[in-house]
Amino acid sequence: MTRAFRAEMVKLLRRRVGLLTALAVVVVAVGGTAIVLGGAEPAGPASAGQDLTLESLADAGGGTEVFRRAASFAGFFMFVVFVGTVAVEFGRGTFRTMLLRQPARLRLLAGKLAALLTFAAVVLAVTMVLTWVTARLMAPSQDIDTAAWTSLDGLAAGVADYGAVLFWITGYAVLGTTLAVLMRSVPIALAVGIAWAGPFEHLLQDAWDPASRLFPGLLLEAFVAGGTDDVDATRAFVSIAAYVGIAAAVAALSISRRDVTA
Amino acid sequence: MTVTHLPDGRPPVVSVQGLTKRYGANTAVADIDLEVPRGVVAGFLGPNGAGKTTTMAMLLGLVRPTAGTGTVLELPLEQPTAYLGRVGALVEGPAFWPGLTGVENLRVVAELGGHGTDQIPELLELVGLADRGSDRFGQYSLGMKQRLGIAAALVGDPELLVLDEPTNGLDPAGINEMRDLIGEIAHDDRTVLVSSHLLGEVEQVCDWLIVIDHGALRYQGPADGFLGAATPELALAPEHTADLDRLADLVRTAGFDADRAAAEVTVRLDHDDQRSVAVALNREAMSAGIVLAELHVRRPNLESHYLATVQGGDR
Repeated sequence: MTRAFRAEMVKLLRRRVGLLTALAVVVVAVGGTAIVLGGAEPAGPASAGQDLTLESLADAGGGTEVFRRAASFAGFFMFVVFVGTVAVEFGRGTFRTMLLRQPARLRLLAGKLAALLTFAAVVLAVTMVLTWVTARLMAPSQDIDTAAWTSLDGLAAGVADYGAVLFWITGYAVLGTTLAVLMRSVPIALAVGIAWAGPFEHLLQDAWDPASRLFPGLLLEAFVAGGTDDVDATRAFVSIAAYVGIAAAVAALSISRRDVTA
Repeated sequence: MTVTHLPDGRPPVVSVQGLTKRYGANTAVADIDLEVPRGVVAGFLGPNGAGKTTTMAMLLGLVRPTAGTGTVLELPLEQPTAYLGRVGALVEGPAFWPGLTGVENLRVVAELGGHGTDQIPELLELVGLADRGSDRFGQYSLGMKQRLGIAAALVGDPELLVLDEPTNGLDPAGINEMRDLIGEIAHDDRTVLVSSHLLGEVEQVCDWLIVIDHGALRYQGPADGFLGAATPELALAPEHTADLDRLADLVRTAGFDADRAAAEVTVRLDHDDQRSVAVALNREAMSAGIVLAELHVRRPNLESHYLATVQGGDR
């Protein structure tokens, strides 16, 4: 697993990847902060974590709540990134190249996923700091008091928000990786993933109430939003964890059993 | 035809029995026994679709055999993780990350195999890419990609090198370069198994041959033994092609198997005295009033024998 991790890091720790990632971080941090702060309601308490208000943003966790909300805009993008990053290894034949050097398939997949998640964790941390700084700079224009953001409670809320977003990303990563391992083709995996997580789940959500409590994409959205009217954050967390465990088992079974012919 | 004797007392690098791969009703590889001695350059030959790549993929743990047992580097075929650290391979063409440079691609391969990266400049030098190592793989020509594939296969100084059609898509100059490279990287402690659908591409560097067709083994053994097993033939060309049918009948009446071609009749000589057969058939032709414009013994070359073997001539 360590070998696969280090090999994946060779691919990730390149100047080009760094520049593109930095650009994405700035766009999410600045653009996302502007959208979140601009959309905050001027009065009234937040209900069930759904609506962000100027008052709730002045709380200790207000600064990192902006990060959490801003990051949620990129959920679908992250899913696509993980599907594409793993599926392309099959389509391009590089999975075969990797297997010839690391034939322990589960270690190979686990190392690759661990490296991608480590990279994502660092990018998230940088994004969170940049979002917090941007929000602090923009907050006066919305008459948001940021004094509590620098308190110990603010730090604790920041850690909780970071952990929540990291868990949320991990959910997308494992589900996306599983889809890629099963489909072994970027266009097919993306088509299936986008169709499922996009129109399919949301159309069913409108037509069938339990959908919000059952479907992984909707649960991930609910979790990162801090819970919804249909499903609270804790239930979403447990359900996602179950999905992640099942998906990981399916991916492991598939990758260890199937022939590599491309 | 199968010849299985090893040139020295050392255990074979590859020794498998009954290797079979079926995909549903299709049999890609049918019950073949393979032995590759240590230190040889073994040519793995067969037409496209013969089962070469599938066989190699099974030896490399990429494809699970339907049946068969054996060893690779004296370790069980069923445990590729145990021996693949000592094997380098290029299978189904060079597959690398197009956005990474040649050096970065080799670093990925080295890290995956748990090998050091300090050998990379030397490997690039060996395959003639020393001045292109910082270029991205996506910008390489096909020949350069193949050579990077060889460099990647050599990472970790493997004992067994498995190269699947390394000359595929190369122009004649590229094929020559690849052949020279294979000769250069082969040495007594390293065995090279190289596949091709064209014998002429690899015969000059191979001292061991394995020929398969339609998933079945046709020959394995020393390269010179393959040629030695070939049968010479007597070619008789009449002055007038109108006499071809009569000549063929005459040869058959004399007790030989005759093949009628467009301008000649050929006779497989097997174990017969070539000179006396030629004299006897010449005399018969003269008696029948057929003037022979040509009468000569044709010794098989490796390529024609290979083609005859995979096309069914020696089955």
